[in-house]
Amino acid sequence: MSLDIDPHIRHSTRHIGRSVPRREDRGPLTGRGRYVADIKIAGMLEVVLVRSIEAHARIVSIDTSEALAVEGVQAVFTAADLADVKTFPDYIPYIGPVRQRPLATDTVRYVGAPYAAVVADDRYIAEDAAALVAAGTTYEPLPTVADLDQALAPGAPKLHDHWESNCSFDVAPHKPEVDRAFEQADHTFTETYVSQRQTGLPMETRGVVADITDGTLTVWSSTQSPHMVRSTVALMLGMPEPQVRVVHPTIGGGFGTKTHIYPEDIVVPWIARRLDRPARWIEDRMENLVASVHAREQRHDVEVAYDDDGTIRGVRCASTLDMGSGEIFMPGTAPVFVTNACITGGYDFPNMQARTTGVVTNKTPSGAYRGFGIPEGAFVMERIIDRVARLTGTNRADLRLRMLLQPGQTPYVMHGGGRLDSGSHTESFEQGLEMTQPALERALARYADDPDVRVGVGYCNYVEPTSPSYHLTTGHWGGGDAATVRVDPDGSVRVAAGLSSFGQGAETVAAQLAADALGVSPENVTVVLGDTERAPYGLGSWGSRGAMMLTGSVLLASERLMDKARAIAAHMLEAAEADIVLTDGAFHVAGSDQPSVSWAEVGTAAWIRYVDLPDGMEPGLETSGYFHPENLQHQLDDTGKINAAASWSNGAHIGVVSVRVSTGEVRIEDYIVVHDCGTVINPALVEGQVHGGVAQGIAGAMYEHFQYDPDTANPRFASFMDYLVPTCAEVPRMEVDHFESPAPEQPLGVKGCGEGGTVGPPAVVAGAVSDALSEWGVDLTECPVTPVAVRAAIRSAEAAGAGAGS
Amino acid sequence: MKPAPFDYCRPSTVTEALEALSSAESSRVLAGGQSLVPAMNFRLTDVSLLVDINRIEGLASVDCDPGGVTVGAAATQTRVLEHEGAAGVVGGLRAALRHVGHLQIRNRGTVCGSLAHADPAAELPALAVASGAMLAVSGPDGERRVDAADFFIGPFWTALEDGELITEVRFPAPPPGSVTIVDEISRRAGDFAVAGLVAIVEADGGAVRSASLVGFGLGGVPTRLATAEAAIRGWAADHPADTIAEAVMADTADAFDDIHATSWYRREAVAALTARAARRALVAEEAA
Repeated sequence: MSLDIDPHIRHSTRHIGRSVPRREDRGPLTGRGRYVADIKIAGMLEVVLVRSIEAHARIVSIDTSEALAVEGVQAVFTAADLADVKTFPDYIPYIGPVRQRPLATDTVRYVGAPYAAVVADDRYIAEDAAALVAAGTTYEPLPTVADLDQALAPGAPKLHDHWESNCSFDVAPHKPEVDRAFEQADHTFTETYVSQRQTGLPMETRGVVADITDGTLTVWSSTQSPHMVRSTVALMLGMPEPQVRVVHPTIGGGFGTKTHIYPEDIVVPWIARRLDRPARWIEDRMENLVASVHAREQRHDVEVAYDDDGTIRGVRCASTLDMGSGEIFMPGTAPVFVTNACITGGYDFPNMQARTTGVVTNKTPSGAYRGFGIPEGAFVMERIIDRVARLTGTNRADLRLRMLLQPGQTPYVMHGGGRLDSGSHTESFEQGLEMTQPALERALARYADDPDVRVGVGYCNYVEPTSPSYHLTTGHWGGGDAATVRVDPDGSVRVAAGLSSFGQGAETVAAQLAADALGVSPENVTVVLGDTERAPYGLGSWGSRGAMMLTGSVLLASERLMDKARAIAAHMLEAAEADIVLTDGAFHVAGSDQPSVSWAEVGTAAWIRYVDLPDGMEPGLETSGYFHPENLQHQLDDTGKINAAASWSNGAHIGVVSVRVSTGEVRIEDYIVVHDCGTVINPALVEGQVHGGVAQGIAGAMYEHFQYDPDTANPRFASFMDYLVPTCAEVPRMEVDHFESPAPEQPLGVKGCGEGGTVGPPAVVAGAVSDALSEWGVDLTECPVTPVAVRAAIRSAEAAGAGAGS
Repeated sequence: MKPAPFDYCRPSTVTEALEALSSAESSRVLAGGQSLVPAMNFRLTDVSLLVDINRIEGLASVDCDPGGVTVGAAATQTRVLEHEGAAGVVGGLRAALRHVGHLQIRNRGTVCGSLAHADPAAELPALAVASGAMLAVSGPDGERRVDAADFFIGPFWTALEDGELITEVRFPAPPPGSVTIVDEISRRAGDFAVAGLVAIVEADGGAVRSASLVGFGLGGVPTRLATAEAAIRGWAADHPADTIAEAVMADTADAFDDIHATSWYRREAVAALTARAARRALVAEEAA
């Protein structure tokens, strides 16, 4: 795409590429952020959802009479009351349709499934009444399936009666070239790798406030995608879209969990309409752990063919996603496809045959979480490489260098069709290795006198698809986004975009882009995001798309606006349009900075003083850009392949860990990231994304794990006592370095960087701990790497007779 | 996460507090509230009346003499941690409190509240048992003193009867020349221990003379490691750690499983902590 900064603009200061301070932090940091829970409307009622305490059951009856008798209770609704609401759409044709209702009708399929809504004057009363509804509910328990094996067993209890089995989808390509690799290879092995159930866990839980005034329904929702919520609410409640306004106020993180459209996004507006009163629901943390999507629970059954020299000839990987009950919109099916698409990371490895399967179980529905399947695949690939290195006596770093894409090898089409347009795959790893040397020496010196401690190093080289298609994920929406740029009579600039902002810095980036594209200072740019009434249709923020989408749409709109502004300025200066340039906010004829006209004069002419406009020119100074990235595909080609991302970032993560043998305690001594997200718009924001991502990656590598009772499918967690989130005390120092390989086909060469940080840590920690314990032959195949897991690995190695010194 | 309805009162004397406690079916003492209030918000505990003891005169005192430290029922953990004299007399208090929660929790949480709550994975109950602490308990029938060894009955279950209140606890000074070590393995900084140990060790001439060893995070109550206490006598740094480990195994057969750790892990870990504590004590003795 030829979009670029207009060459007629001269800046004494360019803003793109600089760490312009974030403009969105003042509110949250001073306690003045306005979250959904801060919205107060006179007469507002409080909604509490009543949630299933059974993992799988028929609801025989719900007695609401006692709850209704509580003073201050306004109403209790069940599925029968919501009969006029449409079912959540099943847009994806190749997965099992779940026909999800906002409130469970006759069957509940996970602990936490909402089946009734209590409306009361305040939350205390509502919770008292909700407890009475729960006590008044009669269940007929059904047999449960708590994991993949149980769900896939012959004769297993089915979650969805209208399905043939608990399998939602199963895509199994066959590659003859992989068969040949297995025939020719010196050796093979099989292994099963497991990625555990986690969640994105934003600091702010979800929340919805709804109110109807003058026929317009306003929904304040803590969502990442307000326009998608608008379309879905309008569809399901049978309202015209212009009569539905969705706003996200300040948001305290999303991490993918808020890309979904949840029952509460429908139920709360429905209640507001039904009772003609404003209504609000705020998710508490107990609910959040069972009612917001989980993620990452996958099993990978692999077969690996390799040669004596360490060459990996072929891999067959059957990746199976535990979808939970599957009752979530958009469906949580896409991450496992991304796992398989990205599994080969930055390696030149075409001989991958990946099977993709989704299975439902009686657990919280799984869905999106920052990383969206990439960490799971990277873990598998890196563990395979370490195993082959060990089996063949090959140096682990050298083997990776042999496999990585070399400079000049891009564009490179991966085994599933992903087209790596550019990158620094070998360079990043080499740079990381260089940075690791002193860190390793430090760690070895620190523990030189402690016979109980071993030190190890772990590696991960990944690719990160950025600005992906949403069609594969939703079966409906595409993958572009829009911005509207306006210059007001006083010369101020307003940018409104369909993106959302909940911590990433999208407002700052939009201001930087508009500032350079219009030759103004970022302070003169007002940014509006997250409001369907004030911004053009967009898909919101997810998939590491914000930077590229803003770049494309803001530049496109700005280009159009500049054309018009230049024509107005030329007319006012009585000069030829082609001679007009803009220097630090003033239009003038090239070669002479006087006379000049300012943005305010141009804006005033466009909106107010039509006498200053060229004859016949349409007034106004507002333009829009609807950006769709080049080479972004939404559907599979004839061979079943797809490039579902507009560009691909890459990175190398390396960690140095110490392991205390007697107790299994692991400490990350140093964590090194070399990162490449193309042209960097704001280095500080990129650095922050990397740090936060790595912290969440470490959460998955060492701490967070939703466990369910295998016999009852009941959660074995209720709070942060059980679901362990790392704090600043657990997250180590990081060293971050960058390469910049611009995206050749995208505006300014911008790629995304929101998710890469999460990808490396599971592979790195498991690899490093296995390396540290190599004298026992420890080879970890799952996370989290806990003290118990480490001790169990040592014990089982010792029991197998491979003890120290053998 | 809103509590069910309950009543609240804030008496100004112990007598009033005891009257209030006896006045309602399920009354509970509110000191720091760091465990009780979340349990109420989760609706896991049924409370009809909260008796807030924070304004009772003199109850927040920390008194120190050469023989020990006396901590009042409303004294916060931070107050004890920062008390100038307390650590000098009972070193174990500082060693244990460093592991208790986070700063914000210690600013509210009380020492006596932790004992009354009796979480089996908490540090302070184990310290009380290891050091032979004595609790002063007031109730409808007057005052009594309870040895810490007799106080803990099961998980979250103590010798406190309905209507009773711990008014203070006295930690006696450990034997002169001994070292008190509180060591634990927790999943994250500030978490309850997956496995922990309080060791009060006397060493002499490079060998352990005697030790009081109490594990926590193992069973329903602080676990006295009696076999290990016998096995560790005379142990020196060049002795193998196996004998200690075997003894700890014998003492911890009841260790429990939960989602954070298995029983065998807890036992192994406490064995490792015990050997580590013995080594540290010997190093300290050599330095002194």
